[in-house]
Amino acid sequence: MAPSPLPSPRGRWVPQTDHAFDPPPSLPVGGPPGDNSTVDWCLYQLNGAAEFEVSEADIISTVEFNHTGELLATGDKGGRVVIFQREPESKNEPYNQGEYNVYSTFQSHEPEFDYLKSLEIEEKINKIKWLPQQNAAHSLLSTNDKTIKLWKITERDKRPEGYNLKDEEGKLKDLSTVTSLQVPVLKPMDLMVEVTPRRIFANGHTYHVNSISVNSDCETYMSADDLRINLWHLAITDRSFNIVDIKPANMEDLTEVITASEFHPHHCNLFVYSSSKGSLRLCDMRASALCDKHSKLYEEPEDPSNRSFFSEIISSVSDVKFSHSGRYMLTRDYLTVKVWDLNMETKPVETYQVHDYLRSKLCSLYENDCIFDKFECAWNGSDSVIMTGAYNNFFRMFDRNTKRDVTLEASRESSKPRAILKPRRVCVGGKRRKDDISVDSLDFTKKILHTAWHPTENIIAIAATNNLYIFQDKVNSEMH
Amino acid sequence: MEFKLEAHRIVSISLGKIYSARGQRGGLKLHKNLLVSLVLRSARQVYLSEPGCPPEPPPAACGPPEEPPPSPPPPPPQDEAGPRLPGAACQGPRPRRCCCGCCCCCASAGGEVNREAARPDCAAASAAAAPPPPHCPRKRSAAERGQAGSPVKKPRREAEEPPPPPPPPQGEQEDMETGNVASLISIFGSSFSGLLSKEPKGRRRPPLDGGEAAAATPAEAASEPGQICCDEPVLRTLNPWSTAIVAF
Repeated sequence: MAPSPLPSPRGRWVPQTDHAFDPPPSLPVGGPPGDNSTVDWCLYQLNGAAEFEVSEADIISTVEFNHTGELLATGDKGGRVVIFQREPESKNEPYNQGEYNVYSTFQSHEPEFDYLKSLEIEEKINKIKWLPQQNAAHSLLSTNDKTIKLWKITERDKRPEGYNLKDEEGKLKDLSTVTSLQVPVLKPMDLMVEVTPRRIFANGHTYHVNSISVNSDCETYMSADDLRINLWHLAITDRSFNIVDIKPANMEDLTEVITASEFHPHHCNLFVYSSSKGSLRLCDMRASALCDKHSKLYEEPEDPSNRSFFSEIISSVSDVKFSHSGRYMLTRDYLTVKVWDLNMETKPVETYQVHDYLRSKLCSLYENDCIFDKFECAWNGSDSVIMTGAYNNFFRMFDRNTKRDVTLEASRESSKPRAILKPRRVCVGGKRRKDDISVDSLDFTKKILHTAWHPTENIIAIAATNNLYIFQDKVNSEMH
Repeated sequence: MEFKLEAHRIVSISLGKIYSARGQRGGLKLHKNLLVSLVLRSARQVYLSEPGCPPEPPPAACGPPEEPPPSPPPPPPQDEAGPRLPGAACQGPRPRRCCCGCCCCCASAGGEVNREAARPDCAAASAAAAPPPPHCPRKRSAAERGQAGSPVKKPRREAEEPPPPPPPPQGEQEDMETGNVASLISIFGSSFSGLLSKEPKGRRRPPLDGGEAAAATPAEAASEPGQICCDEPVLRTLNPWSTAIVAF
């Protein structure tokens, strides 16, 4: 039960504490429709080494807020998990409100070697999912390609002192020196955060695990790899139930793989999984033990005018997320994000172009492998705004009510602390305004694949390679 | 015609990706390789179905992969001298015949290829241009076939069917390869000698039990230390490629 090491592995920490402001209120993010289009985002915190010092192991591979937003977990390619905790409101230090400080760091997964297949198993953390908090401890699931682990995070701020048989260091006392008895008392100590692996769910997957999702029943969770989805009980590690299996009898007939999956937020019997062909399947576990047969299939017919060699690749869904309401699903494919209504299978109710200017460049993007990048997407707390990442460290937000969208950049240069982020524009020829960036100048090595939105407030966490940016609504941070 | 050029380029890029994927840390990525193989397949179909395909070379052009033919494989008499741009020396519109000789597939010109029909058969003959080498009975075993996990092995099955060796498909393939030899060299580079020397070792791998074994088939494809398992299907699939490879 070693305490977690204190320093963040990601280099220097840049807290923004240069001026005082009042504690941010817990504003419901909803508000009147259209409210969010006037959100001004400003850089709140930046954590990570300068870019020329990047080592591959520091590249962030997943970001996830917990259910209250108090904790933010990141996983990286080196198998480490860093948990940030939001400073609680305090009258004493008002300018520290809402700051996310490193709470704990631990090595979740190590590289492994599968001797039978002569394969190395990467330690990269593919996904982290928090369990709903049920007692003083926090728990999360983290997974690499093969193994899912349940970690319990506890705090210790007291320790017993005054043992009769042991001395301060824990060594047994010489009994002849004990002349009186005392009752050990609990004394306060510096806060220590302890992280322990409580469960290890191994050997459940032949293929690479791409997603995990905790059920609303708080007892089970599912893990999905390319061809199968397994249902686990959080307390049982030696068994799992296979609920989806799309492996064909003959692997040469393989045409589609599972790319992402998620449980419905409220109905513990429903889950969705997306495929590399761009379809979504909603399955009901009450229908049968093996949910190969979907209850609903969401698929949009392809636009024949957009047909190209790469049509299949760009239609592959890289992420699927239920809305908080449970009424909609959000999917991300290479060029668009789409909102699907659970009640309508024929087409999405909304489609937003993320970076359509790349459509003519698909061949080059295929060559440099960028076309295989898997971007994630996120809802805000009220399901009125959706967000996803793009290239050049840009990320995009779409307001579903006003239909307005904005492109913002996560970069050190353009993000002064507390300065409002300026919307960016990519010009595709024609009239070019000042500060526009042309498509050919985009840096495709700077991609924002992982983003997360606080469950209730306008706070977003953006992972740009090895840097974690936390942006906050300026209003949110300066109210009162 | 630019479709053909682009298709050609995409095929060689895809092959390079498949080849380099085997050395990746963490094992073969099933999703990515599936997508690459789909692109490869459609690019190849576009290439083969485009008008301006070269005419049929003599049947002697193709030889088994083990015997390195004089580099490059004997071209059809009309052209092939030097790097050959597809369609550069087109002798006139080819009959809209699929490479496998069936008239059903590749019916539409260049664009919408009816993949459903085309897939099993088109790939079949293109891949089956040369008979598999006799000293590898392992390729024929059903157990082996069932384990082909990597998407690149998909056309392999067709390759195992008795190869109908009509000259036209070989000719087309060889046209592709001669025009592509330079890029092949750059793709495969100096690993060729390693490729060839390890080939027998890959073939001697004992057949595993039926495809349902927990051993991931795509992982198996990359399981050999030399990760040769993919070479066979790659080679067999695109046999004309292999003759060019062997030549170098």
